[in-house]
Amino acid sequence: MLAALYSMMPLIWAVASGLRPGAEIFRYLSPLTIWSLLPRHPTLANLHVLWSGPFARAMANSIFVAGTTVVVGLLLCSTAAFALAVLRFPGKNAVFAIMVVSFLIPFDSIAVPLSSLFRGFHLDNTYTGLVLPGLGNGLAVFLLRQFFLGIPGVLSEAAMVDGLGWWGIYTRIYLPLSRPALIGAGLILFVFQWQAYLWPLLIAPAPNVHVVAIAIANFAGEFQVDYGEMFAATSFAALVPMLIMLFFQRYFAASLATSGSKE
Amino acid sequence: MADGGRRRPPRLGRRQGEWLAAAGFLAPALLAVVVLRLWPTLQAALVAFGVGLSKGPSLANFRFLFADPEFTGSLLTTALYSLLVNPIQIALALALAVLLNRALPGVGLWRTLVLLPVAVPQVVSAVIWGVAMRPDGPLNALFQACGFAQQPFLTSPRQALGSIIIIVSWIGVGYWMTFLIAGMKDIPTQYYEAAAIDGANAWQRFWKITLPLLRRPLTFVLVADTVSNFLVFAPVQVLTKGGPQGSTNLVMNEIFTRAFDQGDTAGAAAATTILVLVVVAVVTIQFRLMLRKDDFS
Repeated sequence: MLAALYSMMPLIWAVASGLRPGAEIFRYLSPLTIWSLLPRHPTLANLHVLWSGPFARAMANSIFVAGTTVVVGLLLCSTAAFALAVLRFPGKNAVFAIMVVSFLIPFDSIAVPLSSLFRGFHLDNTYTGLVLPGLGNGLAVFLLRQFFLGIPGVLSEAAMVDGLGWWGIYTRIYLPLSRPALIGAGLILFVFQWQAYLWPLLIAPAPNVHVVAIAIANFAGEFQVDYGEMFAATSFAALVPMLIMLFFQRYFAASLATSGSKE
Repeated sequence: MADGGRRRPPRLGRRQGEWLAAAGFLAPALLAVVVLRLWPTLQAALVAFGVGLSKGPSLANFRFLFADPEFTGSLLTTALYSLLVNPIQIALALALAVLLNRALPGVGLWRTLVLLPVAVPQVVSAVIWGVAMRPDGPLNALFQACGFAQQPFLTSPRQALGSIIIIVSWIGVGYWMTFLIAGMKDIPTQYYEAAAIDGANAWQRFWKITLPLLRRPLTFVLVADTVSNFLVFAPVQVLTKGGPQGSTNLVMNEIFTRAFDQGDTAGAAAATTILVLVVVAVVTIQFRLMLRKDDFS
């Protein structure tokens, strides 16, 4: 229980501080009382300031980038997983190994050289530049392939007899049967984008394409920090993905289990 | 085998298009692999070895790099950090997994609460903890309320790295715990029942049953955790910029500073090449662990 407290306490404090006037955040800390944690004079003023400022734009950018990544990334990862699980072609094992190992090379380790390539293609400060790196994900490909392997082949045989092509088998049989795996993979793609900091820092420095992570780092870097506002912003940046996780939590846990513990 | 074995693909004489179909299904992902992973890696290696300039490939950039105390210092810092943070995170994750694998009331809720910080961006936790660790912040208020002296945390060369470890662990532990709980679910309960009949206490059951049978997920977590900790960047960049006195200058921060603050593209490329080589070695181990024996057949 202490553990859960440890994991939630900083967030509770952040949310509470987001509801205080900026000047009050450090005022009730010593001596410690209940007002150290709870806002003494709760106010929504920080939210008003926040939503009328550049943070609203950053939030919209983040949601758009993460959403696009999930949709396009799922398409890309699931088609690859389908080919690797269902189709027969020469060199399949080699392709599988290359693909998963390459995608397991953590993106951040090659972000710096990739950003100079992207600038060469004028992808800096574009949504395309932000979205592209999140699309291919080794864990997602691996997870979907494992799931597809478990779908009985007789289903596609029957569909073939009925004249369905490979694309039809993929869209009408495999995708509908794979909802849990697709949700798990989608969460992996989403978390990747929502967590991203180094890449947006490198490729999208212009304010109009700022994502939430950058906006928050900028708050902390200002000389005159309004802590109330900053905490309100961090609360949003934390609560949006947490709510999504809360909703789909068991799929996420199940998908991690698939990649980590199977004999 | 959980997935029911490999089924026979259809043999209906309609397989002519299969190779072509595979190419079509794989093309986007393969393109992404080449453009987003292999090309930049190659690019970094070419720049690092000085290929494409008038001279042939050389190790000059690497020699220069290893002669620079700032770079070797960052390697040492990263090594020290890795030696501390990985065992700490895994021990905590394991303890939590054992704790939360029991049939306690509301255990699902507690597990969710511990897992949730996974979704919180590292920048966010860095900013929150950064304020919490200020001299007038709540952590020091708590310390003083318990009768301890005020601590400098991030502003002291002696404590800054430890503070970064605390911040990073806050996110990591719940994530790694999830893998371990999944592994524990695979351990047959008969073992524990048999041990209980033999009179083994909880501590013995943990050492003799849980730990040996958890070897595989534990190895996976160790490898994956090591890789992710090599690449920690956001907390360092936001909170300390590598300081004070280089005490938190982890290798990602070193590469970033080299490339953008110092404009040393070749040095950054050489450092990236070293990092990628190390990471690929570790990831290859991870990949082997992810595959079951029957996966390549």
